[in-house]
Amino acid sequence: MENPYLPIKTEVLDVIEESPTIKTFRLRPEVPLHFKAGQFVEMSIPGKGEAPFTPSSSPYEDDKLEITIMKAGKITSMIHNLKKGDIVGLRGPYGKEYPLSEFEGKEILLVGGGVGLAPLRALFLALAHDIEKYKSVLFCCGSRTPSDIIYKDCVLDKWQSLDKKRIKFRITVDRKDDSWKGNVGLVTTTLDKLDVDLKSSVTIVCGPPIMMKFATFKLLEVGYKPEQIYLSMEKNMSCGIGKCGHCRLGNFYACKDGPVFRYDKISHIHEIWD
Amino acid sequence: MDLYFINKPNLDRLVKSLSKTYKIFAPVKSDNKRFYRKTGEDGLGDSVIGEIRAVEPIKSFYFPARTKIAEYFSKDNSSEKEKPIAIIGAKSCDLVSFKVMDYVYAREPFRDPFYVSKRETGLIISSDCTCYGDTCFCVAIDIMPYPAEGFDINLSELDSGYVVETGSSKGEKIIKEYFKLFQSAEPYIEKRGSYRKKLKEDLLEHVKKSKIPPKDSIQPAFKGKFDSGLWEEVAKTCVECGACNMICPACHCFILMDQKKEKGFERLRMWDSCLLMSFARVAGGANPRKLLAQRLRNRFDKKFNFFPDTIGKFGCTGCGRCTEACPGKIDIREVLSKLQTS
Repeated sequence: MENPYLPIKTEVLDVIEESPTIKTFRLRPEVPLHFKAGQFVEMSIPGKGEAPFTPSSSPYEDDKLEITIMKAGKITSMIHNLKKGDIVGLRGPYGKEYPLSEFEGKEILLVGGGVGLAPLRALFLALAHDIEKYKSVLFCCGSRTPSDIIYKDCVLDKWQSLDKKRIKFRITVDRKDDSWKGNVGLVTTTLDKLDVDLKSSVTIVCGPPIMMKFATFKLLEVGYKPEQIYLSMEKNMSCGIGKCGHCRLGNFYACKDGPVFRYDKISHIHEIWD
Repeated sequence: MDLYFINKPNLDRLVKSLSKTYKIFAPVKSDNKRFYRKTGEDGLGDSVIGEIRAVEPIKSFYFPARTKIAEYFSKDNSSEKEKPIAIIGAKSCDLVSFKVMDYVYAREPFRDPFYVSKRETGLIISSDCTCYGDTCFCVAIDIMPYPAEGFDINLSELDSGYVVETGSSKGEKIIKEYFKLFQSAEPYIEKRGSYRKKLKEDLLEHVKKSKIPPKDSIQPAFKGKFDSGLWEEVAKTCVECGACNMICPACHCFILMDQKKEKGFERLRMWDSCLLMSFARVAGGANPRKLLAQRLRNRFDKKFNFFPDTIGKFGCTGCGRCTEACPGKIDIREVLSKLQTS
């Protein structure tokens, strides 16, 4: 019987600094993991520990996997010390992916904050790959300051010219610096005056819990129904396969039934914003 | 399933023979309690397979407190060939715990190979309780003090031997193989029935004073008390030791831990406790259950709210081990009873 606890040997191909606290790691596992946008993997520092992360590269690129990680605790600090050529472990992919078939023909609103852009990048690249299937994509990104914007060259430049008719961006920062010429304000301010046909729209939100909470409330105010809002719920995880109990969220396990949840399915659970 | 009778000397012979293929554990008495000990080579010896449950839950055999689950990055899965485990004297409450453990570890996708292999090769010879312990309350949640399902063979003690009931094809195979040791159960069936009836009635009388709400009202009562001050009150004496999680047959949460070995790395799976502060804390510092009262409530939430919704049964076997183990003297029967008060 297969052992779901065994990690796959993985080489660090490259380390890219996105911001003072965030790095992207380009990895090549010995065996490709074939993840779908929204799924996560468990990445381990051999002999030290494991933690769950959502890949941010395109699910269509099989030879490599990119994970964007913020330095926050014990394992992520060790991850931030990795160099090209180091060996790590990967398990996965686990969890439920974004239901792309349900987004077809719709106007898609992506709302991302800070490092929440990481899972949304995988989703965005998957959507862009088959853009004719979707009516439009509006990507609203918020960051604390201009230097905290991750994937700067993509968000501020490359992606802007991908499909000028179908794909649009609204970018904002909480606090500007001297060189910033764009919008200033919380990411919720990008949700004002949306030019969207609500009946045929879906919205996907990802970011720190407090950002997701206020973005969700704003989206409901704007007129989105709970069945139209998709969230990425993050919980403490250990096994990643619905057994160890750490990530239980009401009657669900975030690792097995999520991390992508439609808001109407979880809005009754008391601790979702904690 | 089928019923037989085996006298005590023959049961000893059976156990002795089984000990050639199984590592046998049965309870022995010590300090008025029962503890599992390895036995079998000389038959049952002074094992006590009647009375009540042992102190240790049988999850200890199927899901040990600490298991090596990977040596990486080697794919070699074979563990040293160990004799499969046979437990003699498991009680009805122990068998109920399999409902939870099988759901957690053995269902698709990603079955836990370590648990599944132990379940497939293990032998369960359960037995009727012949009395009840002070903290027992199984009947209050519709669990009988005698096994109904989940065993390979069940033993009901009476007179000079045991009524034997098979509960699986594995059990039936053993009867076939050792048919010379068994007799007809005919003269004993009625007596077994009346012993069981008497114990059930005695136990019902015993749990009356705990005023536990009727089984079907417990989940709604819990939901009603979710936001009440009950949990802070109960948590007053909780010292966050996690003993309840460790000793409970239906508690199953674990944590994975990695360490470096001489040659390579090793991953361990170890019991964990949802009562500990960092159980649900994320690296950034957020914690959905920062307060001890929230964590204590969460344990009841999982047992009396999550499991009814998921498997249609409580994640509780009514054994009362948690009450015995708690240094803060928190009594699960009292908590359940308080769910009903206004």
